[in-house]
Amino acid sequence: MKRSLLPILCCPTCKGDLVLSVVEEDESEILEGSLYCSACGVSYPITEGIPDLLPRKKNI
Amino acid sequence: MDEHEIRRRVTEKYGEIASGKTCGCSCAPGCCGQETTAASVSLGVGYSEEDLSAVPNGANLGLGCGNPVAIASLKEGETVLDLGSGAGFDCFLAARRVGKAGRVIGVEMTPEMLEKARKNAERGSYANIEFRLGEIEHLPVADSSVDVIISNCVINLSPDKPAVFSEAYRVLRPGGRIMVSDIVITRDLPDPVKRLADAYTGCISGASIKDAYLDCIVSAGFLDIAILDEKTFPIDFITSDPEISGLSPDLLEGLKESVKSIRVRAIKPR
Repeated sequence: MKRSLLPILCCPTCKGDLVLSVVEEDESEILEGSLYCSACGVSYPITEGIPDLLPRKKNI
Repeated sequence: MDEHEIRRRVTEKYGEIASGKTCGCSCAPGCCGQETTAASVSLGVGYSEEDLSAVPNGANLGLGCGNPVAIASLKEGETVLDLGSGAGFDCFLAARRVGKAGRVIGVEMTPEMLEKARKNAERGSYANIEFRLGEIEHLPVADSSVDVIISNCVINLSPDKPAVFSEAYRVLRPGGRIMVSDIVITRDLPDPVKRLADAYTGCISGASIKDAYLDCIVSAGFLDIAILDEKTFPIDFITSDPEISGLSPDLLEGLKESVKSIRVRAIKPR
């Protein structure tokens, strides 16, 4: 995903803001990393450039 | 089938289509057992030859009832959200219309479809498309951030259609529009059809009665709701099923007439 898209992303469950952590990034996009919702305590992974924002239960 | 089971079946079926294990006879009228290709299905629902040649190979799986009117309405610079973007066909067409200043976001819940879309995007080097794994009933998209929502024969597959339309309303900017094509029915389906899982994943038994479908759009808050197009949808892949072909001729005839493909436009008021 591209950094420019972050402002229009939100948590699928509470619609709150997400905090981006980058593990790997090339010149155009973030390839590996995560998007964290602090309100829900859920971390959504970014794998091969695609964020997995399927709603899920709290990670334990 | 409960909600969870419906999601599981739909994800499984469309995952198989994406990976080529089964043909996309789902929303594609009568592909199985006939000399029909994804391209001919798409031409039949109103896409142009130019549309087909404009997208990366593999992006058009011949699914859907077709949403070329929605694509044609897009303007340079708009932000577009595609609900159930599949292998990315409509996203690629939309990306060409909105240009570099615009962007297209595809939300899809089937990982195999998304993987295919991502590879297609790389092949076509589209810089203004983003795909994400997500559910259309729980959009991972911020409030009032999108100009246009498009969707091609997907919402019928959702077990919670009111949630889809209220999420669509939430993410649209005031003045934004939703332009969807979908399957609806004009009367209740016979029980054997309702029980057929293929009829669900094939976009038929999950379809709502037309008035109820439009009510979902009204209830979400949309105005200026217009049906731009309505056609009888061919359902040979259902009526040829042994469970169904034994129905009385009257029931069969009624069934054939009751499945419609519609294109709907609605506006979020300013």
